[in-house]
Amino acid sequence: MSVVGSTWGRLTPPGKALAIALPVLTALSIGLLAVVVLLGPAVVTFLGDNLPLVRFVVAATAVLLLTIPTAFLIIYMEMKVIAFMNLRIGPDRVGPYGSALSVVHGLKVLAKEDFTPTGADRIVFTWAPVVVFLASVMSLLVIPFAPGLFGQDFNIALLYFFAIGGLSVVGLLMAGWASFNKYSLLGGLRSAAQVISYEIPLTLSVVGLIILAGTMSLNRLVLDQSGSILDWFVFRQPLGALIFFIAATAEANRTPFDLTEADSEIVAGFATEYSGMRFGFFFFAEYVNVFIISALTVTLFFGGWNAPFDWPFPVAVSLDPASLGIWLLVLVAVVPVAGTLFFAAPLWVANSRLPAWQALVIGFVLFNLAVVAVGLGLAFVSFDWVVGLAWFFLKTYVFVYTFVWMRGTLPRVRIDQLMNFAWKWLLPASLLNLFVTALAVVILAK
Amino acid sequence: MDRAFRRRLELRFGDLLSGPIRQRHDETEIRIAPADVPEVMRTLHDDPAFRFEFLADLCGIDTGRTMQVAYHLWSETTPDWLRVIADGLSRDEPRVPSVTFLWKGAEWMEREAYDMFGIVFEGNRDLRRIYMPPDYRSFPLRKDFFIADDAARSPGAGVRPMERTHVPANAAPGGVVRHSKVD
Amino acid sequence: MPTRHEPAAPYEIPAHPSADDPRVTLEEQLGVFEPIPPYPPRTEREAEFYTLRDGEMFINMGPQHPSTHGVLRVVLKLNGEQVVDLDPVLGYLHRGVEKLCENADFHQAICYMDPLEYVSSLFCEWPAVIAFEKLLDVQVPRRAEYIRVLSTELNRVASHALFMGWMALDLGGLTPILYSFIERDEIVEMLAALTGQRMLFNYFRIGGVNGDLNHEFMSRLGDWMSRATEQIEANLTLLNENEIFVRRMRGLGVLDRETALRMAVSGPNLRASGVPFDVRRAHPYSVFPELEFDIPTRQEGDCLARYLLRMDEIRQSLRIIDQCLHEMPDGPVMARVPRLLRARPGRAFAAVEGPRGLYGVHAISDGTDQPFRMRIHDPSFVNLQLVPLLMPGNLVADTMAIMASLDPIMGGIDK
Repeated sequence: MSVVGSTWGRLTPPGKALAIALPVLTALSIGLLAVVVLLGPAVVTFLGDNLPLVRFVVAATAVLLLTIPTAFLIIYMEMKVIAFMNLRIGPDRVGPYGSALSVVHGLKVLAKEDFTPTGADRIVFTWAPVVVFLASVMSLLVIPFAPGLFGQDFNIALLYFFAIGGLSVVGLLMAGWASFNKYSLLGGLRSAAQVISYEIPLTLSVVGLIILAGTMSLNRLVLDQSGSILDWFVFRQPLGALIFFIAATAEANRTPFDLTEADSEIVAGFATEYSGMRFGFFFFAEYVNVFIISALTVTLFFGGWNAPFDWPFPVAVSLDPASLGIWLLVLVAVVPVAGTLFFAAPLWVANSRLPAWQALVIGFVLFNLAVVAVGLGLAFVSFDWVVGLAWFFLKTYVFVYTFVWMRGTLPRVRIDQLMNFAWKWLLPASLLNLFVTALAVVILAK
Repeated sequence: MDRAFRRRLELRFGDLLSGPIRQRHDETEIRIAPADVPEVMRTLHDDPAFRFEFLADLCGIDTGRTMQVAYHLWSETTPDWLRVIADGLSRDEPRVPSVTFLWKGAEWMEREAYDMFGIVFEGNRDLRRIYMPPDYRSFPLRKDFFIADDAARSPGAGVRPMERTHVPANAAPGGVVRHSKVD
Repeated sequence: MPTRHEPAAPYEIPAHPSADDPRVTLEEQLGVFEPIPPYPPRTEREAEFYTLRDGEMFINMGPQHPSTHGVLRVVLKLNGEQVVDLDPVLGYLHRGVEKLCENADFHQAICYMDPLEYVSSLFCEWPAVIAFEKLLDVQVPRRAEYIRVLSTELNRVASHALFMGWMALDLGGLTPILYSFIERDEIVEMLAALTGQRMLFNYFRIGGVNGDLNHEFMSRLGDWMSRATEQIEANLTLLNENEIFVRRMRGLGVLDRETALRMAVSGPNLRASGVPFDVRRAHPYSVFPELEFDIPTRQEGDCLARYLLRMDEIRQSLRIIDQCLHEMPDGPVMARVPRLLRARPGRAFAAVEGPRGLYGVHAISDGTDQPFRMRIHDPSFVNLQLVPLLMPGNLVADTMAIMASLDPIMGGIDK
């Protein structure tokens, strides 16, 4: 046995892993460094010349990455909120108060067996969830999250939004048809009929708004609502807002219009034959949809990223650390220690059974949290996009909560009642809204 | 125990009764031949003096010697339950006319009697097995039902030793007729 | 002597191919599952049902389904979204209770009766006990009768509370079922204090009941009674005033008076169609002649009427419980009954009014200590025949709504 062989045999499994990993990592880092040093300047020049392209790629990536934590958060929120409405507790074991449950669900869904049912059209079956997911995610590109924070700002943003949203119908039909299952077919047809029927009142209810504002660009719409709460479009188009909200609930297949996923009737509708990550796509797409319609409601009618009152922030906070000189070093050395002791001392005093080192560790963690909080606060008051983002998310999540609330409270309507409602009530109401708005604009212009 | 009711029944159905009318506690029992079932039931249902519009139960009975079908009826005209027993069905080929022309709800009850006993109800539009699978070959509630034979023929028996049906060494069909005092 | 099946080798390949046997390969791939039976139709109704016209298709709501009330298989014939015909297939929960009772004592037979309608077990024991008492000529003491009425009316309230939750769940509301389980839990804890069990009580005995009222039961009962009315009213407003519920249930599955009588249904389904037939008043048993209560009846016969009628019955049950508590006589709770019970040869039929209808037992004794024949008449069995009658013309979504409004319990249907 060679020396290498005998040494290898005497290593523990973690040792073996390390013995393989270290050289590989070293080689990779050297390679990466070489690439960066050699190609770096050329790449940077190229990117500098094509800034819009860079911006777009960054925006698309950010949007795709945003959807996952958003979906996780909304799934957790739904489980917890409905549980509290049902006088239950909901998830409370995985992570603090059960918050890691969605993440674990996501991992579980990835670990499941990936199959296509016998007789199913494989290609269509595989691409259906992708189409549905993309239709949801691509709509996020045009929503203005904060001043300056949006994917693209083009002047037909609203039209783009509705067009892409309509793509999901294709995905639903693909899923229902390709599953080779009568339940799925019924569910897919129901879904398609529902989504198509409610798209018309959805778009028509917003046309009044477009007439009033004169633009379809979402960014401009939000800017038009800046000022105070009374500038929000919900006060100028109340009927339109209501119709939009109801039609958007139906578009997103949420209760009371969720008969496509009614598990007391058609098991899981068009998604009956899907499992694992394929079903995960549908699931994610649904919750991202909830986020999107809340975001759109907020953008169109409730002021987007504007605060409801005149907000004195952002203020220009000028911090110049360099002026402190040597005192900066002292600060950096002393403040963490002092902060840790400050947070640890009450704990140690109050709980006599806590060992000193545990108190210090907890104190250090709390100090770090305090630093982060102060940093966020500073960012909040000094950057307008942070302020805008905070208000946007706050308002959006109020609407997400409303959708979850409706799910916990209301039963679902039947398919014919649903169709009735769309064609005989919402459509005439949205047309009425449109005519009244147009008339008002013409009269007031005179 | 409604004596007046008993007299009314004797007056109306005298010749159709194939046994004495018995009364015990709050029940009155009459026995008829199976062929008379439609006539008697229709009279009990339609006649304004009786008006037995509510069928409470329909069941098959295997006394060990014969098969019977018992109907339990209720009417506002009497405080007693009326039990009509169609007596004397043969054990090899029991046939009774169906009462689904009066009470459509008797359809499933007759299906159950067929499934459990093999009693054929003539005129029932849907006389197939209701509890047992459609290719089942025995009638479970009969007194000559031998469970070991039935298990050996079961289509659910498998290949592995745990799935085989194990018949005890001393298994033998219990006597066809229990020497019972049930009439 | 029956021929014993002697296997030639320890492992024997059966004559028919089995999908479970790993050594057997199936030549043809399993195709689409069509719920058509593999033999030609044997009856008129089967032929009528299993022939497809243009544009129709079969859908199988199999025994495993999130919504059927237990293991019930329903084959639907659909024309698009509309149900043309319906065929329920039973037997997935058949336990052979009647056969088991024939080989058991009178006392053991009562234990077999509990799991039949497991939601309202006391109503399943009661007619068996009354039938045996008729066969054995046993007189039940008055206190035992009052306790029987009290516990069964509590069980009725629990069953109807569960019905409310289940009905809402089948229509899509996730919350009312949890509220109804709170109701049911309180009552079931009470009955656990009284009988020792939360669900399959095994409380009634031939000649009385198994134990007197105890302190814990009385305190829980008093506690519950003091807030029962408001609690139930609060739960009911959740559904009664919800526009979506009412619109979905009104006018659905209308059952008229003549059809109901022809289908031999009983209980709330019959009373919601206008026939005021209640076994407690039509053929009184136990101490019901002395108790004051009304029989709620409604005329419309649709799902909403059946739902509201059961809620009215809860209120009447509360009245009865109140009266039982006030008029409870003293005395023994069990008659003096010999240990080994031998009945005279004869027959007895007893029926009670359960939450689903007329629950009957026809017991035949042949002089030994085992019942010769124990026929159980279950109301859900007869009520389920209404489904193929009421469904055609409605949409698939309403299948569940109508079935839920008839309140079937598969344990009783399949026996």
